[in-house]
Amino acid sequence: MKKKLFALLLAAAMGISLVACAEQPDAGQSQSPDPSQTQSGTPDPSQSPEQESDLQYVKDKGTLVVGITNFAPMDYKEEGSDEWIGFDADMARLFAESLGVTVEFQEITWDYKVMELDSKAIDVVWNGMTLNDEVMAAMGTSTPYCTNYQTLVYLSDRAADFEGLTSLEGLNIAVESGSAGEDAAEALGATTVPVQSQANTLMEVAAGTSDAAVIDVLMAAEMTGEGTSYDNLSYSLNLNDTQGLASEEYGVGFRQGSDLVEEFNQFWADKVADDTVLEVATTYGLQDAVILD
Amino acid sequence: MFQSIYDFFSNPQTQTVLSALNSGFLVTLQLFVITLAGALPLGLLISLGSMNRMRPFGWIARHLGIIPRRRVAVWICSFRPVSAICRLLVWIIRGTPLVLQIIALYYVPGIEKWFYWPSSNGRMIAVCLAFILNYACYFSEIYRGGIQGVPVGQQEAGQVLGMTKGQIFFKVTLLQMVKRIVPPMSNEIITLVKDTSLARVIALQEVIWMGESFMKGNSGISGLTWPLFFTAVYYLIFSGVATILLGRLEKKLNYFQ
Repeated sequence: MKKKLFALLLAAAMGISLVACAEQPDAGQSQSPDPSQTQSGTPDPSQSPEQESDLQYVKDKGTLVVGITNFAPMDYKEEGSDEWIGFDADMARLFAESLGVTVEFQEITWDYKVMELDSKAIDVVWNGMTLNDEVMAAMGTSTPYCTNYQTLVYLSDRAADFEGLTSLEGLNIAVESGSAGEDAAEALGATTVPVQSQANTLMEVAAGTSDAAVIDVLMAAEMTGEGTSYDNLSYSLNLNDTQGLASEEYGVGFRQGSDLVEEFNQFWADKVADDTVLEVATTYGLQDAVILD
Repeated sequence: MFQSIYDFFSNPQTQTVLSALNSGFLVTLQLFVITLAGALPLGLLISLGSMNRMRPFGWIARHLGIIPRRRVAVWICSFRPVSAICRLLVWIIRGTPLVLQIIALYYVPGIEKWFYWPSSNGRMIAVCLAFILNYACYFSEIYRGGIQGVPVGQQEAGQVLGMTKGQIFFKVTLLQMVKRIVPPMSNEIITLVKDTSLARVIALQEVIWMGESFMKGNSGISGLTWPLFFTAVYYLIFSGVATILLGRLEKKLNYFQ
């Protein structure tokens, strides 16, 4: 009898926990109509007073969580130091200061940047992010602040095969899955080999499993040549020119419809005006790449 | 030879890399220990649940004096809800990739606005929960095999000796189950050592993440590929130690032979 009672109790507990599970999505649904209503009700969510202000959320929380990957010269650490530096890191610190909150850097997996923002694991993606259609559709993006182009990386021994190419047809080109480099390689007729990161594309080239790689020129400069494991790799070609495209532009990404975008643009304009941007860019050798108008 | 090994380890660059790998390995260890501490007891609960024979509808019917005749009624009366729920859970968790469970557990609550993980250690908490749940389900099947592998005669002997059901379970069944499950458990534990590397999918900085970071650039060092492959040394040493410890445990439990 005792055992049966105990078993019944257990069953009841299970039942209750099931009900609790069933209620959770309900709670989610009852909350979700608010944002969807505001979105359909007002075409510009940033001006909607009903929607919770992202700026206020960050201020209340007291921290601005900046999503980054370890990416010199934008966000990186000096040897033997535990502090994030770089053009983006330094500017992010100043931005947080202007909001009156503390900055917190969080390394993320680049593929999940939109999910990181939407689940509020981070507040902003600030990591030399190329403004392409996907990014602009999924995030609230700032005005562009830096220029970049895609370049071709290959084994130095085979440089003669690649210099001055105008088409990549018939070549196996390693690219970061979902990157601007992948778009460029496809547009130029290459057979692409999508891998997880720009760093992995170089491993493909070094191991001879791909003919060449297409990555950001800022990154190619940082990762190849003397003092790296890739001293046998070289890069050349501006593939944006080859395609007849303008250079790419870097921007900062916030949650879609966030009022932090406007706050950021204002902050950036002020910092350009008082030459802070140029000063910080020069520190990291980006004075030619940064946009100052 | 020894000189070159010494040179390698005394190189400041190597030391920077190794200290980063060490810090990553601490995270790996932490995840490993927390997962085991959570999954071992939870697995036992799930295995008991999946073996639970309670048939509440049959019990109600019997007390009301109803004798089920139709096929549906017989099925309902013999339905075991606790066991069904536990087996459903095991099917879902074992039937989907762990990496997907980690991503779902970390991102879905925030996207659906149920709750937000704390920004400081939310990643670790989410990964630990995913690992505990996943491994508990695998463990539960090992426990079940161990418990059901104890001959019925053992329980009957306990009854003859006048032991209570609780005494029989803890002092006869469980005691013999523990020694039977050590080899399959060792297998699963060694797998866990390596599975911890899946945590980097949501950017938990365990040892493989740290190894990979030097390809792209970390602490002023970029374009290095050897740190990634060097992480194998950590896994080998760790699984070696685990193998020895589990072997000793197996010997220690070598009773009733």
